[in-house]
Amino acid sequence: MIKDAFSRTQIDRLGDRLKGGSHTESDLRLLDDYRRSFGEAYETVVRTLRQRGEVPTGRLAKSTVSIAEKLRRESIRLSQMQDIAGCRIVVGNVVEQEQLVASLKADFPGASLIDRRDHPSHGYRAVHVIAEISGKPVEIQVRTSLQHMWANLSEKSSDVLDPTIKYGGGPDEWRNRLGKLSESVAAYEKFEKIHAVAVASNEVFEKATAEQLEHHLPEHEVEEIRGKLEDSRLRIEGLSKKLVALWNVNADLLTGAITWLDKLKGQKQ
Amino acid sequence: MIFLIEYNRGKGIIVTFRDFDDSQRREAEDSRLGIELDLNRKGRKGIDHEVVLLEAASRDALLRTHGRYFKDLDDLLKSASQQGDGAGVSREPEFGAEAGR
Repeated sequence: MIKDAFSRTQIDRLGDRLKGGSHTESDLRLLDDYRRSFGEAYETVVRTLRQRGEVPTGRLAKSTVSIAEKLRRESIRLSQMQDIAGCRIVVGNVVEQEQLVASLKADFPGASLIDRRDHPSHGYRAVHVIAEISGKPVEIQVRTSLQHMWANLSEKSSDVLDPTIKYGGGPDEWRNRLGKLSESVAAYEKFEKIHAVAVASNEVFEKATAEQLEHHLPEHEVEEIRGKLEDSRLRIEGLSKKLVALWNVNADLLTGAITWLDKLKGQKQ
Repeated sequence: MIFLIEYNRGKGIIVTFRDFDDSQRREAEDSRLGIELDLNRKGRKGIDHEVVLLEAASRDALLRTHGRYFKDLDDLLKSASQQGDGAGVSREPEFGAEAGR
């Protein structure tokens, strides 16, 4: 993986030292040099994304705190860490997410994919694409707005309420609320995809039937086409209503979380 | 633009925020390291702040992808509950009307 001035052993030993709480100045400088060695790979990835019209936010350097915590938390070695450099793209919905991920796989042949949508990590759902440029991994996080909203809530509550929340710990009630919200966002997004496919095929159907109606058809055929159009319209209406109902589950969970947080603040005052 | 953020996790607030032109990447990297070295010298618990360099098209773009640094939990929850637009069906007018409840 490392093809530069650093040997794998040197980096892994640095990682072992970083796991402990205190750091020497020379270790911090070595880690910084190691981070900077990802610069070219990072540039290549971000440039490719911008050329295809994406607006990524790049993370040039993962913080030392985050690196040390990850080393302590997981059995991973520093030389195996895939998110030293990376970037994040937030898209509108799950359909856009799938389209973008498919494009990224084509842009970065051999990239590996971590799809946390069906198998969330403590509620965290997103797709991470790991591109590898000249032996250096660069992580591209692709999140939908809703996945991003959930991740923000999980991370921020880990910051200010309990650092273990992000990894399935913390106050039971908050953890349960976040868990339910993650599930409800997942249910919403699954249905959102069904809805989008139905809307797209309805548009094709409407266009085709409009063309048919331009011809002079017998009355009974016109009636039949109109009936089919109405059925299709009613089906989309039903799907849209269900989508709204699913969003309202998310909204109710968020309202509940706001109330819980207000109560918690009241107790602390 | 390149943004240097020193973030106090426990308090959930930004301690240092600086921006750099894309051409000043080296300077931004040096400043980031400088903050970490300083924290390490002063801190009894070593480095306890997140010190990151982020690159975004604008401050607004940064806010969109890394709002956690800038907003408190209350704000994040409230903006999330009004997120009908980001929910993928903003194309449906009736959705926008009901989602804001």
